[in-house]
Amino acid sequence: MMQIQQLSLSRGDKRLFAELSMQAKAGEVVVILGPNGAGKSTLLLALAGLHAADSGDVRYHGTSMAACSKHELAQLIAWQGELPPTEFGLTVRQRLELAANATSATAADIDVALTHMQLQALAGRSLGALSSGERQRAEIAAVMVRDCPVLLLDEPTAHLDMRHQVDCLKLIRREARHGRLVFSVLHDLQHAAAVADTVVLLDGKGGICVGKALEMLTAERLAPVFGVSLQGSGRDLRPLYREYDEEA
Amino acid sequence: MNIRENPWLLLPVLLAASLLVGGLALGMGEHWINPLSPGDDMASRIVWELRWPRILTAFAVGGLLALAGAWFQVLLGNPLAEPYVLGVAGSAAVGAISAMALFPDAAWVMSIGAFIGAWVGIAVVLAFAHLGTARLLLAGVVLAAFWGAVLMLLIALLPERGVVRAYAWMMGDLSNSLLPGWSLLLAWAVALACGLLLSLSLDKLLLGEKHAEALGVDVYRLRRQLLLLASAVTAIAVTAAGTIGFVGLVVPHLMRLLFGSLHRSVLIASAFGGGLLLIMADSAARMVIAPAELPVGVLTAMIGVPVFLWLLLRRTS
Repeated sequence: MMQIQQLSLSRGDKRLFAELSMQAKAGEVVVILGPNGAGKSTLLLALAGLHAADSGDVRYHGTSMAACSKHELAQLIAWQGELPPTEFGLTVRQRLELAANATSATAADIDVALTHMQLQALAGRSLGALSSGERQRAEIAAVMVRDCPVLLLDEPTAHLDMRHQVDCLKLIRREARHGRLVFSVLHDLQHAAAVADTVVLLDGKGGICVGKALEMLTAERLAPVFGVSLQGSGRDLRPLYREYDEEA
Repeated sequence: MNIRENPWLLLPVLLAASLLVGGLALGMGEHWINPLSPGDDMASRIVWELRWPRILTAFAVGGLLALAGAWFQVLLGNPLAEPYVLGVAGSAAVGAISAMALFPDAAWVMSIGAFIGAWVGIAVVLAFAHLGTARLLLAGVVLAAFWGAVLMLLIALLPERGVVRAYAWMMGDLSNSLLPGWSLLLAWAVALACGLLLSLSLDKLLLGEKHAEALGVDVYRLRRQLLLLASAVTAIAVTAAGTIGFVGLVVPHLMRLLFGSLHRSVLIASAFGGGLLLIMADSAARMVIAPAELPVGVLTAMIGVPVFLWLLLRRTS
């Protein structure tokens, strides 16, 4: 469904990585991991058509993204990024309506999305009156309401409490089961293990490694990239905090 | 039915309010004149040759300034932006005062000077349009400071009589506009229509440029369109009436507080609300120290700011 062909990206003057090539299919969850500044968000932006690549190409269903209009991309891809500004007093429902407007979603779809993220009671509130976690839930609902075949999520569990983190991860799996392709940047290795079929690991020095989640989520692979001691693998992979106590 | 959900319901209310305020303003003055049967020749001439064109001008200029304010606020992602934020008023003032200095005997050259000055200012700003919002704003602020310095230099060189006229222009004057009221009203209608055509994209731009683009908006094109539209409207308003502050800042804010943030409502309400505010301010300016007149820009600030602060307090409590 999606082919990334020799994609090279920079942010400002800094080259992030060169010649990433991979394929992903409908129903797959691809998790992007890597240290701060490695280019995870920039990669998502490039896949969304919101950041120009230095070279290379991204194809959806065989069509180059560069050949698509902004309008066509908005039908195909739902992107969730930083929280939008709140100065102008949009309400939660208006936020979802603007998202829904890019596709053919209806008022009923908006209600469903609000219910999923437990936002019904907040629907009429202005975004500026909400907590970061509540705003994040509104952003996730805004992605869901668009009903696009490709979802690009940039740290969707950021700001969320434990319950909504779990809900969010379930939602990612459910969307994949419904045949959508999901790319998600995540920082929590347990979250990654809970949803990932495939992992893209950016090491922050220009190196890229793509592989099956089970092979990628191991202490041997991740510890050197993040510079921490890890133990276990897959869903049990976690940092060794005790070691730091001893150092101190 | 809810006005917030259906902004077209605003139209009859705003039209009625405009007729009422306009009618009252026609009659108001040192002596009350019934505008429907003005009586003797003198009163009739005052109403139809002096007050009526001036009310049309006030309505259109107020509406244009409010529209430009709403556009600049979303363009720059900053609710404190106003029509003069990118220095267009400064360059217009430099144009007007230079024209006055060169041709001190002809009043109408000030309008032409203002128009040319405004467009020089716009051309300079357009050269920065491809930069991001923050740098565009910074460029605008620096340019405004530059035009302000040139203005001070000009005023320092003017003879005393010229200084008085320069200040009068800079504080706003609706009494001798070169542009006829009907042409300003036409500009007002065209500007409102253009704004309404863009209103959905403007709403999406409230979410930030990246989000707007992800929702299918060609942000680069929209920014250029908005910059040109808002600047052109500001240039027309400045040419017609000099610099009148606070209308463009306060009115879109008020309308957002009253009718929500979606641009269909904000633009319709601002176009009328700005017009009504300026008619009222100008009527007051004519009467407070009659037969002399106050500069209308002073009054817009004096009416606009307390109302704005009161609404701000009420909203947050």
